Amino acid sequence: MEQIPAIMRKNLVLIITLAVMLVLFVAAASGMSWQDFVITLLRGLAVGALTFLVASGFSLIFGLLDVLNLAHGTLFMVGAYIGWTVYVRPDTFVDILTPLALIISGFTLGDVWRLLAQRVPQSGLWRRVLPWVAIVPGVLIGFGVMRGYPVASWSLENYAESPVTFSFLASQGQRVIPAPATFGDGSPLIAFGGLILASMLIAFGLTLLRQSDIHTAAHVSWRHVVPFAGLIAGGLVVFTVNEPLTAWLFALDTNWLFLIAVLAAVLSGMGLGALMESTLIRPLYVRPIYQLMLTLGLSAIGIEIVRAIWGRPEFTMPKPALFAGSGEGCPAESLWLALQNSCSTMLFQGGRIRIYNEIFIPLVGLIVLIAVWLLLRRTRLGMIIRAGVQDREMVEALGINVRRVFTMVFALGVGLAALGGVLAAPSIGLSNTMGESFLLNALIALAIGGLTSYPGAAIGSLLVGMLQQFIIKYGQIGIAIPLTGIVFKPSPPLVPASTILLMVIILLILPNGLLGRKE
Amino acid sequence: MTTSGSSFVQRYRIALLTLLALVLLPFVIGLFEGASPFEVWSNQSGMSRFIQGLAIEIFILALYALSYDLIFGFTGLLSFGHSMFFAVGAYLTGIALKSFGLNLWQTFGILMLAALAQALLFGIVLPRVKGITFALVTLGLSSVFHIVVMSRELGDYTGADVGLQGVIIPDFISPATERLRLYFVTLTILVVFYLIYRRFVDSPLGRVCKAIRENEGRAQMLGYNTFLFKLAALILSSLTAAIAGALHTIYQPIVSPDIAGLGFTVTALLMILIGGVGTLHGALAGAAIFRLLDFGLRRYLGESASFVNGAIYVLIVLFLPYGIVGTWQLKASLSIAHMRQGWQRLLEMVGVNVERRASRE
Repeated sequence: MEQIPAIMRKNLVLIITLAVMLVLFVAAASGMSWQDFVITLLRGLAVGALTFLVASGFSLIFGLLDVLNLAHGTLFMVGAYIGWTVYVRPDTFVDILTPLALIISGFTLGDVWRLLAQRVPQSGLWRRVLPWVAIVPGVLIGFGVMRGYPVASWSLENYAESPVTFSFLASQGQRVIPAPATFGDGSPLIAFGGLILASMLIAFGLTLLRQSDIHTAAHVSWRHVVPFAGLIAGGLVVFTVNEPLTAWLFALDTNWLFLIAVLAAVLSGMGLGALMESTLIRPLYVRPIYQLMLTLGLSAIGIEIVRAIWGRPEFTMPKPALFAGSGEGCPAESLWLALQNSCSTMLFQGGRIRIYNEIFIPLVGLIVLIAVWLLLRRTRLGMIIRAGVQDREMVEALGINVRRVFTMVFALGVGLAALGGVLAAPSIGLSNTMGESFLLNALIALAIGGLTSYPGAAIGSLLVGMLQQFIIKYGQIGIAIPLTGIVFKPSPPLVPASTILLMVIILLILPNGLLGRKE
Repeated sequence: MTTSGSSFVQRYRIALLTLLALVLLPFVIGLFEGASPFEVWSNQSGMSRFIQGLAIEIFILALYALSYDLIFGFTGLLSFGHSMFFAVGAYLTGIALKSFGLNLWQTFGILMLAALAQALLFGIVLPRVKGITFALVTLGLSSVFHIVVMSRELGDYTGADVGLQGVIIPDFISPATERLRLYFVTLTILVVFYLIYRRFVDSPLGRVCKAIRENEGRAQMLGYNTFLFKLAALILSSLTAAIAGALHTIYQPIVSPDIAGLGFTVTALLMILIGGVGTLHGALAGAAIFRLLDFGLRRYLGESASFVNGAIYVLIVLFLPYGIVGTWQLKASLSIAHMRQGWQRLLEMVGVNVERRASRE
C-alpha cells in the first residue's frame, strides 16, 4: 500500500498527461451516441490492427538490427499486390511457380559451389574474371528464357484485360478462366534447362564473389542434392498439372483461395525480406546512416516495379465469400447469424458493422500479436532476439550465429508487413501509394509506444488508429465545445495532424515513448 | 609575399577553377549557340538562360544541402524537419512580397527573425530528446507546419494545396528579365555561405560540434555546454535554409506546399549522402548530381525516371561507401604505394604482366 504514492510521485507527469487526455476524451465522447461510439471504436481497432502489422515488423527489425527500414511501407504494398494476383488471377500464380522453383533451385546447392570454388586457383586473372564469366551469361540466359516463357497475364493497355476489369469481374462472381498462355515455337525442355543452367551459373558466380564464404569448409553429401532435386521435381509437376490446377483454383471456394493468397503473400514477403537482408543490408551494418538511403532507394524501385507490373490505376480486391454475402438474412442481427449467412454486414443498435473490416481484421491482428508474443517469450529464437535487442555484441560473443537470426528477423518483419498488406487490400483497395500512409502511421505508433518495445508497438498502433477514426467521425458530427455553444468540425488535414501532435506531446513528456526502455 | 600568394592559389586551385568555370559558364554556353557575351549579358541567349536557370536551382539546392550537412553531418543531429526551415523562408518571402507589399530588405529582416525563431523552437525540444526521437519530434513539428500551410483557413495567404502563386518579384532581380544578375547573386550568396561554413567548421566552435557528433557525453565531460553549441549550429543552419527558401521563391515565383513535406527533407538527406556526409564539398557536389540526375533522367526516360534514380542511389550506397566526395577523400589520403598497388591490379586484370614490363625497362 505504501508503494502506491511512490509510484505516483515517480510517474507524475505521465499520470497527469493521461488524466488530461482521459478528460478530453470523455468530454468529446459524451457528445456522441453510443452506437456511433462503438462503431468508431471498432473502426479504430481495424486501422490499429493494420498499423500494428506494419509497426511490429518495423520495431523488431529496428530493435535487433538497428535498421530503420523505410521500404517497409512499400513491402506492405507489394504483399497486397501479390495477394491480389493469387486471389484474382490464380492462373498467373500457377504459371509463375515453375520458373520460380527452377530459378531458386541452383541456390540450394551452396556447398557444392563452395567446394568447386575452392578448386579454382585463388589468385590471378582467372580468379577475378571467372565470377563475371559465370554471372553475366547466367543473367542473360535467364532473361532470354523468361522473355519467351508463357505466363498468363493482364494487359495494362487494354482496358478489357486490365487488373481493374478482372477485379470487377471477380467481385461480380464471374470467374472466367482467361486463355492459358502456351509455349510458342520453343520447346519447354529447352526453357527449363535454360532456367536451371542460369540459376546454377548465377549461384556459382555469387559464391566466387564472396571471398569469406569460400574458405569455410564445404562438405557435400547426397542430402544437399535433395532440396535441389525436390524444387526441380516440384516445378515440373506443377507444369504438367498446370491446367487442371488452374481450373481447380478458379473453381475453389473463395475462402480457401483467400487463405492461399494470404499464405502466398506472407511467404513471398518473407522471401523478399531474407533476400534484401542477406544481399543489400548486410554490407551496411558498419555504416548505419546509409541504410536510410538504401531503403529509400529500394522503396522508390519497389513502387516503380509495382507500377510497371500492375499499373497505376487503383483497383479493389473482392472480399472472400464468408464476408461478402448480401442476400437473405442480411444484414444479420448477430455475429453468429452473420457468419451463418455469410453476411458482409451486421446490425448493431441500428448501425451497420462490416464484418471483414471491423471484426475480422482486428481479430487477425490480435492473433498475430499473441503469436509473435509467444514466439518472443517462449521459444529459443525469441530469447535470442530479446537478448540481441538488449546487447547484440554479448549475444555474438556467446557464439550464436547472429547473422542467421538477423536474416530470420528481417524476413519475419517483412512477412508481417506483407500479411498486413494482403489483409488491407479487400478493405481499402490497392493503390501505388497505400504503403506511404501506413509507414508514417507505423512510425508514429512506434514513437508513441517506444521504438523497440513490442507491446509498445501494439499500444501505439491502437492509439493511432483510434485517434484517426475518432477525428474523422468528429469531422462528420462536430465537437460541441462545452460552455460556448460552438460546434467545431475538424477538417480532413487534421487527421494526420492529430496523430503527429499526440506523438510530439508524448515524446516531449516521455522521450522514450510509453513503454520504451530507459537509457 | 609572392610565395604566399602562389601557395594560396595552389592550395585552392580546384575551388578557384570551379568558381572561374561557374562565372564563365553562361558566356561559354552562349557561345555554343552563337551568341556573343554581350548578348548573354543582356539576357538574349535562350540556351544560356536555360542553363542559368538550372544552375540557379542547383545553387539553391546546394545552399539547402549545406545547411542540412551542418546539423546532420557536422553536429550529428538527425532532423526530419529540415524542410520546414526552407519552406518558412520560401513562404515568408512570397507572402511578404505579395500580400504585404514589402520591399526585399524588409522581407530579408523578417526572414532572419523567423529563422531565428524556428531555430529556437527546435532548440526548445533539443535538450529533451536525442537521436531518433529528435528526428521524430522534428518530423512532427514540420508536419504541423506543412498542415498549417495546406489548410484552407490560411488559403488567402499560402494558397493552400495549390501553392503560393503570383508573387511579383522586384524588377532588378526578376528571373524573367534579369536572369544573369540573379545567377550571379545566387552564386555569390552560395560562395559567401560556403566560406562562412568553412570558417565555422574549422573554428573552435565547429570543432566542438564535431566532438558532439562523435561522442556527446565526452564533450560534456570536457566541460562544454553542448546545448549551446548545438543551438548555434541550428541557428546558422536555419538562417541558411531560410535564405535558400527565399531564393527559391524569387526564382520560381511559385511556392508549392511539397517543399514543406517530409519528401523535401529526404531530398536534403539524399544530396548529402550522395556527396558524402560531413564534407562541405560533398553537399555541393551532391546537390549538383542530384539535380542533374533528376533532370536528365526525367528528360530522357520520362515515367520510369524514379526507378533508375532509386537504382542509382542503391548502387552509390553499395559501391561508394562514403558518398562521392567522402570516398574520394578517403582514397586520396591513403598512401601512394597503395594507389600503385591498385594500378598494378588493374593492369593485371587487363592482362599486362607488370613485373616483366618493369624488367624490360
